[in-house]
Amino acid sequence: MDREILRRLESLNQLRLTEEEKEKVLSFFEMQDKEITRLGDIDTEKVERMVHVMPMNNVIREDVVNKVFTRDELQAAAPEAYDGYWQVPRLVE
Amino acid sequence: MKYETVIGLEVHVEMATESKIFCSCSAKFGGEQNDHVCPACCGMPGMLPIVNKHVVDLGMTAGMMLNCDINRTTTFDKKSYYYPDLPNAYQTTQWFAPVCVNGTVDIKTSKGEKKVRIKQIHMEEDAGKLVHDDWTDSTLVDFNRTSVPLIEIVSQPDLSSAEEVIAYLERLRSLLRFAKVSDCRWEQGSMRCDVNLSVRPEGSDVLGVRTEMKNMNSLSAIERAIEYETARHIDAIENGTEVLVQETRRWDDIKGKSYAMRTKETAGDYRYFPDPNVMPVVIDDEWYNRIKETLPDLPEVKAQKFIELGLTEYDADQLIQSRALCDVFEAAYKTSGLAKESANWIITDCMTILNKKQMTADMLSISGKALGELIKLVAEEKVNRGNAKRILAVMFDEDINPQEYAEKNGLIVSNDTGKLEEVVKAVCAADPKSVEDYKNGKEKVFMALFGQCMKQLQGNCNPQALKEALLKELQ
Amino acid sequence: MKLYTAKSENVSGKPVVLDDTILTKDMPTAAGSKMLDGYMSLFDAEIISKLKDAGFGICGKANVGEMAIDLLGETSYYGECTDESGKLVGASAEIVKNGEAVAAISMDVCGSSARAAAMSGLVYIKPTYGTVSRFGTIPAACSGECVAVSAKTASECREVLSAIAGHDDKDGTSLPEDKCALLKADAPRSEIKKIAIAKALVDSASDEVKALIESFKANADGVEFAPIDANELTYAQAAWNILMSAEVCNNVSKYDGVKYGYRAAEFSNIDELYTNSRTEAFGYLLKSTILFGSETLSEDNYMKVYDKALRVRRVIVEYFDKLFADFDAVLMPVSSKTAYTKADTDANTYIAYDESIYTAPASITGLPRAVVGGVQLVGKAFSENSLLDLATKVRKEGK
Repeated sequence: MDREILRRLESLNQLRLTEEEKEKVLSFFEMQDKEITRLGDIDTEKVERMVHVMPMNNVIREDVVNKVFTRDELQAAAPEAYDGYWQVPRLVE
Repeated sequence: MKYETVIGLEVHVEMATESKIFCSCSAKFGGEQNDHVCPACCGMPGMLPIVNKHVVDLGMTAGMMLNCDINRTTTFDKKSYYYPDLPNAYQTTQWFAPVCVNGTVDIKTSKGEKKVRIKQIHMEEDAGKLVHDDWTDSTLVDFNRTSVPLIEIVSQPDLSSAEEVIAYLERLRSLLRFAKVSDCRWEQGSMRCDVNLSVRPEGSDVLGVRTEMKNMNSLSAIERAIEYETARHIDAIENGTEVLVQETRRWDDIKGKSYAMRTKETAGDYRYFPDPNVMPVVIDDEWYNRIKETLPDLPEVKAQKFIELGLTEYDADQLIQSRALCDVFEAAYKTSGLAKESANWIITDCMTILNKKQMTADMLSISGKALGELIKLVAEEKVNRGNAKRILAVMFDEDINPQEYAEKNGLIVSNDTGKLEEVVKAVCAADPKSVEDYKNGKEKVFMALFGQCMKQLQGNCNPQALKEALLKELQ
Repeated sequence: MKLYTAKSENVSGKPVVLDDTILTKDMPTAAGSKMLDGYMSLFDAEIISKLKDAGFGICGKANVGEMAIDLLGETSYYGECTDESGKLVGASAEIVKNGEAVAAISMDVCGSSARAAAMSGLVYIKPTYGTVSRFGTIPAACSGECVAVSAKTASECREVLSAIAGHDDKDGTSLPEDKCALLKADAPRSEIKKIAIAKALVDSASDEVKALIESFKANADGVEFAPIDANELTYAQAAWNILMSAEVCNNVSKYDGVKYGYRAAEFSNIDELYTNSRTEAFGYLLKSTILFGSETLSEDNYMKVYDKALRVRRVIVEYFDKLFADFDAVLMPVSSKTAYTKADTDANTYIAYDESIYTAPASITGLPRAVVGGVQLVGKAFSENSLLDLATKVRKEGK
């Protein structure tokens, strides 16, 4: 784990750390790295991954439309909205 | 040196469902901005995704139409990136176990027939729409399309020319529309295509540098873009005009050029992982067979069947342009037993009405059975053609029984000769001058008198019988 | 010190306090984050109508750590909560302890609320994954987080859990009704007779915690205890830290200053809008979690880190299965110490990641955990009633 990876991670996750925070997060990563290495003790080659702890299949719904909220309700908390749209700085096109 | 172009396509098709893939918002095209939106598809916390069953049905259908293997256990994964049209900052897609793999699509070009291999088809949610607004100098975000179900059809790099690409896309469009997976409307964005292209010396087995043009939305633009990119690549290889790099490019169809897109260094770092909120979809034999049974014949198989019923190749070809036309034809034929007439009524009369209504063939939704009954009424000379056309027009707006409607509105051909004679006598009595003229050898007036009789009868008579009755009266 | 982030004026029914990770449409929900300060949900969590139907009333929302992933609420935008002695406490647990609510409902992501119950001397139950709807809860680590209940007594815990358990079509991980019904107060249950003590976890805890374990044993009349090595369970920590961080990273990515919530005052393009908003509105532990979680999912790391953790999850689940052939529950600490202060969390920002060694086994497996007498019991799936029966016995309730 180096600063270059950290810089990339900040950019990828739309975050910016202070120098002091970077130092701390690097030590945090180091600590987690040790834990991750320790997982190597367990042979998982023949173990299937487990995404769902209470496995079920086919939790599906019928194709039916149901409208509950109005646009005004959905945009009530919008930092910026215009003419029924959410609004952001102009993207370069 | 001779070069060959190697092209692989990623085609996105919006599925023809009523509701979105993970929430119950309408998936219909259009509507006012942000009208088909709920907390889930505008990225608010607390809602959980539930898979729309019809999406899986259509995903499987697409795969079967494209000769794919269906993954009997298919799962959903999250793909993360930031963009204002992606309200959750992740797209739920299928990365690890897509619904379909290993298919083929047969295409025909001037160079003959070819099988294009399909790598996979996966189901995912669409992104929203961004409007770059000059008035406010901002970008406006509309989430109506967010979470509309898509399939992405990924081909192997088996295509080698614009002609092949067009043939492939047209074939895909025909198959998917036929199976009612999607309406595949380029102009509405329900069919879009990413083109991956590289060039190499003919016979070489090493691939050249690959560039990608994303979100192409018309066949003509795709054709021009492929020709331009191919020439650009060859020029770079032969003359060293530029150094080719693997990149995403934007096609400007007006300028007829492609441009490198500015991308972030982190682009493509999607951090896929299985969605813990969506359980696997397991397709058992019963489900698999149910979808298999609903598959339509391939268009050309259907056309052959139609020809065997007595249609011309031309008529059959017209009908297979749309599954809706085929469905109405088959039902009309089943009811009337008259193939040629059924085809004519659809290709000529129904299409005329659709055009007037500015509707496409796919939107033909009249009852084929009713059309068949109408055709029978005409064939049995119970309703004349003109009135039958009127009844057909009504069928576009109302669910009617043609026979009952004709009876109720006095559109049944009368076989009552007494009535016929009565009308003929009345018309002649009302227009003695024309009768006189006819008797004086002006035979032209016969048609005028005939027309008046027909009008009084509202067309509900056998023209031959009327002609005979009128001649008799004039003698 | 802020115990409540919102308070109801008129409470009809027995008062229950909700952690601020549970969405309510008549009170704001912020999950302890500046990002969601003042956020009004358009809808209530599924459990709210269930509580009301059972005669409970919501008396308010309680302060929590940001996304409920910290030690004891120390990362909340509204500040941490402490008792008179300066000890860190969970706000909702303290509200229950003060008698202002009969029960507290929380999101158990990695045991923060379980520790809070222990610190305030409450009985706590995190039910089997999928038995209580997560619809309308702020998502953090969806594959393991559960709605949990704490109260002064086991019987109050049971009453509230019985009210909120049940299938919900709006939650795709919600179990069928017949499974959820096993949590109802009157459902048949078996008695816990044999308990394994997870030595590897007890050994690393403080003497005070070891004394709590001994006290628990002494009060569990007629229950047989047997120490087991349980080294396997220590691997749950790293595995859950990975899964949890990645899921948190993904779940909080939707907070970007576009649709609702905090938006930075200054930005000149979309990336600055995102970055400034998130940088200004997220606390430090959450930021670290996002970055770590993101890294576990990178192309280079996915197989050796994230995928590995998913496999280790199965190893832990199977380990428990094996244990449960011989034992009815596993006893372990819920924390390494019996009290923490602000000095502890200041000295080690990542203390929650260390303490998860005790809480990760139940979080990563979705198994129920009970906290009673300051220690933790992990039970078989759907054994909530048995765990609470035992809690009743240990606490000598009703005697």
